[in-house]
Parts: sequence; structure tokens; C-alpha cells
Amino acid sequence: MVAAAVVLAFGPLVLPSFYVRVGQLMLYSAGLGVAWAILGGFAGYASFGHAAFIGVGAFAAGLAESYFPNLPTPLLLPLGLVVGGTCCAILSAVIAYPILRLRGTFFAIAMLGVSHVCAEVTNNVDFFQGSLGLNFPPIAPASMDPAIFFYELYLVAGLAVLLIAWKIRYSRFGAGLLSIREDEDTARMLGVPTERYKRLAFVVSAVLTGLLGVIYGHSLGYITTESVYRDDTNLSLIVYSLLGGMGTLYGPVIGAFSLVFVTQVILGRLLDFHLFATGLMLVLLILLAPGGVLGLLKRRAA
Amino acid sequence: MNLIAQTLADGLVLGGIYALAAVGFSLIFGVLHVINLSHGILVLMGAYLALILSTALRIDPLLTMPLVMIGLFCVGYVYQRFLIQRAVDRASVNSMLLTFGVALMLQNAMIWLFSPDMKSITPSYAFASFKLGPVNFDAVRVSALAASLVLLSLLALFLKFSPLGRVIRATAQQTMAAQLCGVNVRHVYALTFAVSAAFAGAAGIVIGIILPFSPADEGNWTLNAFVVVVLGGVGSPAGALIGGLLLGIVNTLTAQYVGPAFPNVTMFLLLVLLLLVRPHGLLGNAFAASR
Amino acid sequence: MSILAVDRLSKNFRGLAAISDVSFAIEAGSITSIIGPNGAGKSTLFNLVTGYLEPSAGEIAFQGERITGLATNRIAELGVARAFQIARPFRELSVAENVRIGALFGKAGPRDVAATTQRGMELSAIAHLAGQPASSLTVGQLRHLEVARAIATRADLLLADEPCAGLNPTETAAMIEVLRKIRSSGVTVVLVEHDMPSVMEVSDRILVLDAGRLIADGAPREVANNPKVIAAYLGTPEAA
Repeated sequence: MVAAAVVLAFGPLVLPSFYVRVGQLMLYSAGLGVAWAILGGFAGYASFGHAAFIGVGAFAAGLAESYFPNLPTPLLLPLGLVVGGTCCAILSAVIAYPILRLRGTFFAIAMLGVSHVCAEVTNNVDFFQGSLGLNFPPIAPASMDPAIFFYELYLVAGLAVLLIAWKIRYSRFGAGLLSIREDEDTARMLGVPTERYKRLAFVVSAVLTGLLGVIYGHSLGYITTESVYRDDTNLSLIVYSLLGGMGTLYGPVIGAFSLVFVTQVILGRLLDFHLFATGLMLVLLILLAPGGVLGLLKRRAA
Repeated sequence: MNLIAQTLADGLVLGGIYALAAVGFSLIFGVLHVINLSHGILVLMGAYLALILSTALRIDPLLTMPLVMIGLFCVGYVYQRFLIQRAVDRASVNSMLLTFGVALMLQNAMIWLFSPDMKSITPSYAFASFKLGPVNFDAVRVSALAASLVLLSLLALFLKFSPLGRVIRATAQQTMAAQLCGVNVRHVYALTFAVSAAFAGAAGIVIGIILPFSPADEGNWTLNAFVVVVLGGVGSPAGALIGGLLLGIVNTLTAQYVGPAFPNVTMFLLLVLLLLVRPHGLLGNAFAASR
Repeated sequence: MSILAVDRLSKNFRGLAAISDVSFAIEAGSITSIIGPNGAGKSTLFNLVTGYLEPSAGEIAFQGERITGLATNRIAELGVARAFQIARPFRELSVAENVRIGALFGKAGPRDVAATTQRGMELSAIAHLAGQPASSLTVGQLRHLEVARAIATRADLLLADEPCAGLNPTETAAMIEVLRKIRSSGVTVVLVEHDMPSVMEVSDRILVLDAGRLIADGAPREVANNPKVIAAYLGTPEAA
């Protein structure tokens, strides 16, 4: 793991900038995938609307930073992260109560609704500048190529998310989440504080997603509603886990790397194909390999 | 006073159309227990097909309905029998993901074929309107509403009285027992889906003549259908009608009194509220009613 | 002090008296069996004790404390565990991980989790299956898993719901042995069971329910010869 991290860290120094940007997308997607999996993979509450938190995080950060135009550059990102993260925390904590009472498909659709509503409010209420677009101040140090800067930033963020997910997975909290996924009622009967754990997983997942969204906003430089509240993102987060292995820790990473690689590098020229490709991958996955890549490997080994 | 009346009337008209747009989704949910996330795309397919046919054949869009419905019936049958059924055989949440994937693929295909721009179908009586008391009615919307109500009634009669309708209801209530009576469940499921797709397509035509549409709308129509089902209950045209009317009124009232930006927000809040309080809808599950 | 005391307990379902005026006290460290014809109210009794159902009348006390009307998970936290006839394992987790959930979240919080997990599996004779996924277990093994998981919660009272139902004689004997070992480890066992030979062999005491009423309560020998019990199962000569 450490070796992989080191290799990844030095990669961008030798690769052409197209690949550096692909690398950014890979790391960003992997981080999002793992953050999603804390709720969807571990606890089994598959959210179809996590893009909501990307959007909330990005817009909250952007707006906050625009109020402090004279802040020295190194403080901008921390400010954005704090504001974006806090807004996601508050939003998720509030909706957790009603929405986690739903199960399975109802929960999934309700989250899709949350995503659409956030998108709509951002777009239609002038304060959020969703339709106009929001500018982000540049934060890369002058001496560094911004592409490489963001790459390293995504790498650090991705590793942080992975570390948090790893700690959760092997803790008592994580064991409780797994039991909730398998059989929530029985877990409750055995003494697992199911409601509290679900809410915690929901908030942690939302905040981590939001923080990544803040970085994403900065890396784009200018965002509109359509650039962050995307249904294909909503879907991709699920596909990463499906592809790599639902419920596992590294599954979403494998899934994210693979899917981004395929859509960016192999299909890179055919921009119009993206929705189609993601959809097709999902269809093929469901029909052929519902356990994902890791599932297939497990079956081979058995 | 007039404003409220007008808003309510507009809401009812819109609601009738929402009901038609949702009844297919409701049927699939009730009979196959599948949440068809490609429902919105089927609706749009109806709209685009109607656009092409009415321009090519130079006929009124509503007259393209039989052709569109037959076309989507066939598509729906094949889709369910050979794609969705395979996914469901493995795990039920897969059907949602599969239909979501297909929706994305078809959305992309529509963007290539028709461009992402808004289109609309303009029938010959597009600008006519008439007054009933203090309330204005737009001719296009009224004919759309009439078509919706006719179709909904036809579906209700079909489900209640025709042999196939009875088989469908039986299969929904007790699948195993139906199989033991010789019902080919897969075939029945496919037929149900086909009927649903046909009605989705019909709804698309109706929507196409009153609203501008583009491939990006598909998500909204699916979500709309979901809300209608939650409001009115699963599996029955009557439930869809009630849900649709409610949604239509909420929509127009919000647009008029809160702001044109907020109908979806209200709809979503209503959805969450209902899922918490009465997840089976106001009329409950039409097929479970006899249990 | 008795570990479980039930006083004049009654439960009505819309006019049908499922349990009528039942009173008994279970001694700590014993194995008690509850028997009776189908429909006698045995499962209802368990549901009342574990808090799934609220009594229409009467009181239940566990270790001297009143538990009537408390929520299911509250009662579980106090040290009452239940093993179900239809096992509900965490299918994707291994046997050890399943039992570990009991140890992590059972009474008095996570202490000596690894040791408690191991002990639970050993008492239930499934330690050799520790690494296997729960989905690969047979019905009999799943029952053992249910029991192991319940024991791992450090419960003081185990309510076992027809643990031998559907098991062949070998498996039944194995399950009875497990219940004995559990009793020796200090846990009180109350079971509902239909398998008469096992019940007679393992129980310290037998309670007999018929149509919601307690018709016999005593040592196995006495109960077997009690004419009321015989009549309940076989019917009286006139009615036969």
C-alpha cells in the first residue's frame, strides 16, 4: 500500500499532462467511491444521490471564499474545506433522521430526490449562483503546475478517505455497520445501536464526499449546477463498488480506477459516449458479474 | 378568487396527465415489484416517436397514439423478458440499477439522434382556448387531459374485466399459486411491462403536445411517477389518478404562490413526508388489498 | 432469587386468550422446558418475555427487576438472549464474525471480545467452522450459530425456540449437549421443544401449557404421569 502511494505520488512528474489529469480524476473518483461505500457498501444503504453532497460542498466553499477576497491564498482551501464540510455535516445530520427510516429502494430513490432538489435550489435561487456559475480563486502555488498540484492534493485526500474507511471497517463501529447490512433487525436485537450507527455512517460519508467536492470545485475553477449535481456521478459511485466489489474496502478503488481508465483513455475521444458507456458497463455488470471484480476473484479462489 | 380557481383547474389538468405518465410505472411496481428507472426514457421515446410520425405522416399527434403504443409495447416486452428478468433473477435491487443503466444509454442515444435541445409537438389547434366560468382552459391541455382520462379508464377496465387483466392481478397477488395454475409468469410479467411501456409512450405524446421536452427530462418523469405512486398507491389506475391529481395541484399551487422555481422541491418534501407516514400511499397496494 | 419470575401473565388477541393467568419462577442455572400441544401459547410466552409483545395483564421480572413492557433491545441489554427456530445469520460474514457481533454489542459492552467469541463458539461446538461464511452452513449448524451468537452477548438467560426442530437424531443429541454445556457455564436455559425424549432427558423442570394456561409444573417424571398433561396431548377417553 505504502509502495503504491509513493509510486502514485511521483507519477505525475514523468507523465504527460493528459495522463496527470486522468490521474486526478481517478484519485478523485476513488475517494468518492470509498466515501460512498462507507454508507452503501458497509451499512448496505445504497444512496442514489450522493452527488448532492459534492454540490453542497463545492458551492458552500466557493461562496464562502468569495466573501473573503483578500484572504491569503494558503488559507483559502482550508476555509473552503471547513465551510463545505460543515454544511454537508449539517445537511446530512438533519435529513438522516427521516431518510434513514426508509430502507432499500425507497432510501435510494429518496436520496436521488435529495440530489435533484439540491440541484434545483442551487439553480433557481440567485444567492447560490448555480445558473450563473461560481468562480473559485486559484490556490495552486505559483511555482507548481496546477495539474500536478491538484493531483497530489487528490492523492492526499484519497488516502485520507481510504484511511478513515479502513479504520471504520475494522472497528466495532464497522462490525456493527456490517451487521446492519446483513440483517438490521437481528443486529438491533443483539444490541447494536442501529439508528445511531446509521446516522453516523451517513454523516461521515456525506462530509467526506463534500470535502472531495470542495477540492473538485477548486480544480475546475468555475462551476455551475450542471457541473457538480450530475446523475451520472450519482450512478458512477454505485458502479465503482459494483465493479470492484460491493461492501469491500478496496473494491471502489479498483472500480473507480478501471471505469475512469476506460472512459477517459480508451473512449477519451468519444466524449459523447460517456453516458452510454457508463450505462452499458452497468448493464453488463448486472447481467454478468454482480459480485464485481473482487467477487469474481473470490469465486476463482474458492 | 379567480386566481385560485385557475390555479386549481390548471393543477387538475396537469394532474390528469401526470397520472397517465405514472400509471405504467405503478403497474410494474405492483406486479413485478420492479422500480423501473427507465420509465422516463420510455415516456420520452413516445414523445419523440410522435414528433417524427406526426411530421412525416402529417397527422395530428394524438392520432399517432396507436402506432406509438404498439411500438413501445413490443420494445417493452423484449426489454423485460430478455434483459430485466435476467437481472431480477440474480437480485432484486439489480433491476433498479439495470434500468438506470439502460436509461443513461438511451438518453445518450437520444442526444445523438435528436440533439439535446428542447423540442415540442404543435398540433393544429395549438392556440385555441375556451372559458368555463371564471377559468380559462387551453384546448391543447384539455385534449391532452381527455386522452389521459380515456386511456386510464381503458386500462382500469382492462385490468378488472379482461382475462389477461385478471391473470395479471392474480400473478401480482400470489405468484407461486398462479404458476401452479399454469400461468407462465415470465410471459405475464413481460406482457405487463409491455402494457406499461405502451402507456408510458402514450403519456409521452400527451406531454409532448403540452410541454417542451428534451432527453435530459427523463429523470424528472421517473421521479414524478415515483411520487405519484407513493401519493396514490401502487398498482391501480385509480391510485395513479389520485396521486397524479394531487401532484398536479401541489405543482401549480407551489409555482403560483411560492415561486416557479420550487415545484420540485415541494414535490420532494411531500415524497419524503409520505414515505415516512404512509409508505403504501393513500390507496395502499391495490394488489395486496385482498390479503 | 429466581432469575425469571412471571406473575399472572395474560395476553389477549382480540378476544382470543393466547395466554391466561400464567405464573411461574425459573431458578438460575437450571434447564427448563416448556411443552404443550400446538397453539398452546408457547411462542407467545417467549414473545412476551423478550418484549416483542406487551402483556394484557400480569408482570414479568428478570433478576428481580421488572421488565414488563420494556423494549426488545432494552431487555436484550439486560441479559436475556433468544435463539430463533428460523435462524437469521449474517450470511455474508463468517461464523466467527457472526459470533463476534454478539460479543461486541452484548451486555456490559465490549470486554474480552476475542475470548468471549471463542468461548461462544466452543460452547456451541462450532469453533471448527470459525472461518466459514455463514451462508455455507447446514440448518443444524445454523442453529448452533444462533445459540453461539446469543451466548456471546454474555446473557444470563437463554430462551431457545425449538432448537431441535427439523434436526435428525444425531444433530438433536448434539444440540442437547450444547444446551447442557451452556447450563454448566452458568447460563440459565429455557427452551420450547416438541422432542419428548430430549426434553425428558435434559430438563430439570417442565412447564406444560395448554390453550394458554399452565396445566403442569414440575420434575419430568411427575409431569409425564400427570393425567391432565396426557389428556391435553391425547385427549380424554370420552373425546377420543
